[in-house]
Amino acid sequence: MSSEVIRVENLSKVYSTREGDFHALDKLSFAIEEGGFVSIVGPSGCGKSTLLQLLTGLLEPTSGQVLIDGIEVRKPLPEKTGVMFQDATLLPWLTAEENVAFPLSLCGTDKKESQRRARDLLKLVGLGDFINHRPAELSGGMRQRVAIARGLVRDPRILLMDEPFAALDEQTRFKMGEELLWIWQETRKTILFITHGLTEAIYLSDTVLVMGTKPGRIIEVIPVDLPRPRTFEMISSEFFGKARNRIWKLIQEEAEA
Amino acid sequence: MRLSVLLGAQTGFFLLLAIVWESISRLELADPRLLPSFLTVLGVLGDLLTQRDFLMDLGITGLEVGVAFIIAAPLGVSIGFLLGEKLFLGQILSPMFHFMLSVPQSIFLPIFMLLLGIGFLEKVVFGVTHAIFVIIVTTTAAVRTVPRDYVTVARTFGATPRQIYLRVYLPAMLPVVMTGLRLGMIFNIIGVLLAEMDASRAGIGRRLFSWGEGFQLDLLLAGILLVSALTIIINEVMRYCEHRAARGHVA
Repeated sequence: MSSEVIRVENLSKVYSTREGDFHALDKLSFAIEEGGFVSIVGPSGCGKSTLLQLLTGLLEPTSGQVLIDGIEVRKPLPEKTGVMFQDATLLPWLTAEENVAFPLSLCGTDKKESQRRARDLLKLVGLGDFINHRPAELSGGMRQRVAIARGLVRDPRILLMDEPFAALDEQTRFKMGEELLWIWQETRKTILFITHGLTEAIYLSDTVLVMGTKPGRIIEVIPVDLPRPRTFEMISSEFFGKARNRIWKLIQEEAEA
Repeated sequence: MRLSVLLGAQTGFFLLLAIVWESISRLELADPRLLPSFLTVLGVLGDLLTQRDFLMDLGITGLEVGVAFIIAAPLGVSIGFLLGEKLFLGQILSPMFHFMLSVPQSIFLPIFMLLLGIGFLEKVVFGVTHAIFVIIVTTTAAVRTVPRDYVTVARTFGATPRQIYLRVYLPAMLPVVMTGLRLGMIFNIIGVLLAEMDASRAGIGRRLFSWGEGFQLDLLLAGILLVSALTIIINEVMRYCEHRAARGHVA
C-alpha cells in the first residue's frame, strides 16, 4: 500500500480555438507521496497554470484524471487541498485574522473555534502581532504569510502553491522559502510548488518535475538528493550546480523547440 | 498643527463672507429689502424653526425624500447588479440606462403630474426616477471592478455561488456602490424639491417658491440656508459611510 496523496493519470486538457485544438496538457502522469515536497518548473506557456487549475478542481480535464487521497477531483476539495497564488489575493476588507478564517466561515465552523485556529496559524507564520491588520497595512511578504496561514486553516493534507513568492524581492523570497520549509517540517503537509525559479525549486524540493511545452508534458523527473535541513551553502555544491544546469538546458531546448 | 491652521483659515474665510454680506446690507450698498442682513436672516431662520406648520412642511419633504430613497436604493442596486453580472442582459439594457442618465428628468414631470396627479406619490416617483439611474450605472460599474482573483480564491476554498455573491461581490463592490447611493441621494433631493417648486400644496420646495414670488427675501434666504445645511449634512454623513466602507480597499 503506497501512501500517494496526489496521483495524476494521463491528464490532458485541450482548448478549442478558432485556429483548431490547442493541447495545453498532454497525457501528464505523476504521483506525489505523502509528506513530499515536489516542484514543477518549465518554460512560460507550458501549462503550469492549467495543471494547477485541474489539481484544484477549478477546471475539468479533457481526459485522464486527478486523484487526491484516491478521490477523483471534479470540484474544489477545500478540506483536502489548500491553495496559494502568486498574488496573496487576500480580501482587502478583512483583517489578517478574518482572512485566515475565511475558508472556515464558508463551511460554517463555529466562530470562536475559527478565531482560535486563525490566531494559532498567524502565530505559526510569525504574524501573531498583526491579527487585526488589514492587507493594505502589511508588506508583500507578510501578505503571503497570511495566505499560507489561510491555505492551512482547514488542515488540508496538501498545499498547492502557484508561484507564491514570484512577486517578492530576492531576499524576502529566500526567507519565505526557509519559513515554508520550516512550516512543512512542523505540519507534515504534502506540497506541490509551481515556480519559475530553478534555485528555489531545487533548494526546497525532494523532486523537481521539468515540464516541456507544446504540448505541455513532463519531460524529466529530477530527484534532489540533498540532505535535510537544507543550508545556504548547499546552493554552491557540485550536485546543486549540476542539477541547475541540467534543468536550465532542458528548459532552453524546450523554449527553442 | 498644520491641520489646525488650515481649519482656522477655512473658518476665517467663512466668517469673512458673512461679514461682507452683513456689511453690504448694513451700509445699504444693496437694498436691504432685496438683501436682508446675515443676522436678520439667521433670526428669521430661528423663528421658522419654532413654527409648527413650517416644520410640517420640512417633515413632508423629508418623508418624500426618504421614501424615494428607500425605493430607489435597493431597486437600483439590484438592477445594476444584474446588468453587471448577467453579461447578455447587461449588453442589451445597459446602453438604455446609460442614456437615460443623460436625459434631464425634469422633462418628464408633466407626464408624472398627468399620471399621478399632484401630491405625495408624484413627488416620490419623481425622486425615484432622479436617483435610480445613477445608482444603476454605478452599481453596474462596481460589479466590473471586482477582481476575478477574489472569486477564484473563494471558489477554491469551497464557496457556493450564494456565498460568492454575499461574501465576495457585495463587500468588494461596497465602496463604489456607496458613491452611487450618495450621488443618487443628491439627485433624489433635487427631484423632490423641483417637483415641489413646480406644483405643490406642501413641502419646503413650495415654501421656497412662494417666498420668492412674494419677494420675502428674508424668509427665502433663511430657507435656502437651511436646505443647504441639511443637504450638506446628509451628503457628508453618506460620504463618511463611503469612507468607512472603503477602508483597506487599496489594490
